[in-house]
Amino acid sequence: MNVTQAFLSRLEKLPDGQKVRDCIQCGMCAGVCPHGYAMDYTPRRMIAALRAGRLDDLFRSDSIWLCVACFNCSYRCPSGIPLAERLIPSLREELLSTGVGVPKELQTAFERTARYGNPFGESPKKRDAWIKEAGVKVRVLKEGDSADVLWHVGCFPSYNKANLKDTIALAKLLNVLDVDFGIMGSDEWCAGDLRCTAVGEEGLFNLLYEHNSLQLAGRSFNEVLVGDPHAYNALSREYARMGTAYRVSHYTQFLEKRIPELSKLLKKKIDAKVTYHDSCCLGRKNEIYEAPRSLLETIPGVKILEMPRNKENALCCGGGGGAMWLDSFIWERTRVPLSIQRVQEAARTGADILAVSCPLEIPRFEDAIKSSGLEGRLRVREISHMLADALGLVGGV
Amino acid sequence: MSPDTIVVIAEHLKGELSDITLEMLACGRELANASGSELICMVLTDDPLPFKALPFASDKTIIVKNPVLGTFNPEAYCKVLSHMLREMSPRIALMGSTSVGMDLAGMLSVTLGATVVGNCTRIQIEGRKLLVTSKLYGGKLTARSEVDQGMVLCLLMTGSYSKEGGMKNEISQIDIRDSPLSLDGLRTQFRELVEPEEGDVDLTKVPVLVGAGRGVQGADNVRVLEELAGLLGGAVCATRPVVDQGWLPRTRQVGRSGVIVKPRLYLAFGISGAPEHVEGMKDSEFIVAVNTDSGAPIFEVAHYGSTLDLQDLAPVLAEKIKELKGGK
Amino acid sequence: MKVAVIIRQVPDVVEELVIAEDGRSLSEDDVMYITNELDDHALEQALILKGRHGAHVAAYGIGGSEARDALATSVAKGADEAVYVPLEFKDRGDNHKLAMHLAAPLRDGGFDLILSGMQAVDELDGGLGGILASRLSIPYVGGLLGVDMATGAGKVTVKKAFAGGRIGIMDVASPAVLGIQSSEQPPRYVPVNKVMQAKKTLQVKEIRTSVPDVVGLCITQLQKPETGAGAKMLEGDEDNVASSIANLLKERGLL
Repeated sequence: MNVTQAFLSRLEKLPDGQKVRDCIQCGMCAGVCPHGYAMDYTPRRMIAALRAGRLDDLFRSDSIWLCVACFNCSYRCPSGIPLAERLIPSLREELLSTGVGVPKELQTAFERTARYGNPFGESPKKRDAWIKEAGVKVRVLKEGDSADVLWHVGCFPSYNKANLKDTIALAKLLNVLDVDFGIMGSDEWCAGDLRCTAVGEEGLFNLLYEHNSLQLAGRSFNEVLVGDPHAYNALSREYARMGTAYRVSHYTQFLEKRIPELSKLLKKKIDAKVTYHDSCCLGRKNEIYEAPRSLLETIPGVKILEMPRNKENALCCGGGGGAMWLDSFIWERTRVPLSIQRVQEAARTGADILAVSCPLEIPRFEDAIKSSGLEGRLRVREISHMLADALGLVGGV
Repeated sequence: MSPDTIVVIAEHLKGELSDITLEMLACGRELANASGSELICMVLTDDPLPFKALPFASDKTIIVKNPVLGTFNPEAYCKVLSHMLREMSPRIALMGSTSVGMDLAGMLSVTLGATVVGNCTRIQIEGRKLLVTSKLYGGKLTARSEVDQGMVLCLLMTGSYSKEGGMKNEISQIDIRDSPLSLDGLRTQFRELVEPEEGDVDLTKVPVLVGAGRGVQGADNVRVLEELAGLLGGAVCATRPVVDQGWLPRTRQVGRSGVIVKPRLYLAFGISGAPEHVEGMKDSEFIVAVNTDSGAPIFEVAHYGSTLDLQDLAPVLAEKIKELKGGK
Repeated sequence: MKVAVIIRQVPDVVEELVIAEDGRSLSEDDVMYITNELDDHALEQALILKGRHGAHVAAYGIGGSEARDALATSVAKGADEAVYVPLEFKDRGDNHKLAMHLAAPLRDGGFDLILSGMQAVDELDGGLGGILASRLSIPYVGGLLGVDMATGAGKVTVKKAFAGGRIGIMDVASPAVLGIQSSEQPPRYVPVNKVMQAKKTLQVKEIRTSVPDVVGLCITQLQKPETGAGAKMLEGDEDNVASSIANLLKERGLL
């Protein structure tokens, strides 16, 4: 059996992997891919190459690393082929195992995640250091403890300075709503979706899964709450695939159910025109479009303006699929960065605030705003922070 | 009974004395004064001329000459030093914690049966005891050790003592000799010394980096930083947005999607200290940051900081450095 | 060509270093181990020689059970042989003891080159390479950025780093010990799957001789250096601040 055939047989064992045989070469994937223009091998051509037995050609191309896991291709594919979820990561996995052509920045992120449970290389013991500044009680659940809601905080929300205010905002919201919640503290490791399943380090994903599922099994809870759509994807879909199913909610879904209580606690108006960015993992991938909008509408003074590319047509911020670590690599090979395109689109709506629901977007869009000269005209805010602000729980916008 | 001897193993490259030698002499002078010992500076070279008239603070300078000793050949140096140090039997031999000293200490400790203490920042004598302070675990901890007998080889870290203390107003007694042993048939041969290429730089191998962040605002300002880097024997590096704007090439990028560096000095100009960048330089030995935003996260990781505008400060800093260096 | 690589496990400084009750050593329970960074480079350099000249690479893993894991990673990366050298916590960081312990097995191994990182974060008694070389009566050169076979037989050409970015090209007759500062390419990545695989199928030789009972350097105290919280902010106008900075640099020997 030649290399290409071996690869295809491995791919076909993955969920829906066998659908790759149904490709009709229509090119929808290439058309909707935000980096399609820069790829010498778009998903369509990748499949064509595989059919011609030419796996090696794909390895010589950079195209595999230009995917930002925005799921547009999978969403539009008439044959339902899991292009961004399975095809691209599988190709990446092949490259990783040969060690050829793998961007160094990603390697470092993997090595750190494998060792410290987070891509920053920070000590796992510091994962819950943020609770000291939360200003409200945050329970750290040890083995044997129980709570109604187990909040899987995530790597960026735990460690990244730019995201801490939003993590604290969410803690305050949970507190004011009297939610019985707890976090796992330093026992929590990366959920693994962002860098792993989407990037082909299945081995690393398994390592993280083994750890997290063991830790989760040691605590009792009714549902898992996440702030990060990627963790949502991992914990609800991928962990179920591995055999451990949890009831998972993203905070926007969780809070949407509590809008009546939240409404009673409102203290402030936020007079602003707000446009909401549908993150790929929450939106297109998991079709959660309304909950974030309902929450924004709850805030008095907020006027929602929609971007032309919204909901299932939203433009990716460019950070998925490991691209958070590949900005330079990608910019060298494409034209205008996606994050800049997106903030410009947001600014064109006339909005003052670009509201987001994924922690990656805070650093990405803040950066893009500075680089495109929109500072002062547009600001980025996490929905949790806006809500907490409207409830008078955090400082001003 | 003859007084104790303290020996400093001089280092030089291309006929120029390395600064660490003066620091070692300063340290040696302090120890010699405290213990009534004789301080000897030992220079191994092919040509005594550049070293004959240097005002070393040693009581005596021994210059051992042989063509093979012109460039640093660990085997040759080790052979000569083993012989000489065995003869002189000093209490302490000081070497630099450098590419020279670090090659020699281990080998000499076995041939001479001496104790080695590395990463030294301070050495004191208390009666028969030698008290040494060293850095450990990448500088995260300080270790104090004691040696009360036998010969001790200490590797001194750059920046621990002042160079001025290693000099005095007169030239010490000079003794020029040939190598006591033949240096033929060595298994290590020095072929050539290569100067760094003018072309692009490997940031991980440069000791001083001047970082340009978004606050630099344009290619023109990068020029002042390049001058600073030149004065300090380093190179300019950049954060990702700067590279993305094309003000510096991709090879100069430091950070999560660039290179990870650990230079001795990192001067950060107009860098906010976003984690993606800090990840790439937080282990730098000494960090000085300049950013008009007093709340910039870079100040959490920097050792010293200023909120002056880099456009005003950088040129003045270049002048001050030129002044201080000019004194050499 | 046979190449041995010494891979040591050292305390990971990302984690907080907890000093033991005696005030002169680390608390063993709190230490997290990581492969000494420069030993990783040494392994990479050995694997580069394997790739170029088909060298046989033997990895010597020094430490506790974490050293065995490091051996699995080495094999997953391409090492041909794995040798486990158990070393108790109290014996770590003592290169003279280690060199004495390794001398006989390395000599018996008939290696052309023995590579190790030129430095380790936990050592105070000089680099391992030089001590080992002296025990084996073979040459040592440290601070290397590159190693390759020389045109003559039984020789290697090395690139040694000197101050100011200069590089010394030297020829060394083998057998020799080489102290690596930086491998020619950054240490390669090996996917977690491959490491897991290697762990399952790992065949390891073990050095069972007892560690020599020698007294090492006497450390009397370990403590945290004085640190301030965050940067010391410099006040004044451009002239003041520039002078302050220039003087700081001078004090630290950076001018």
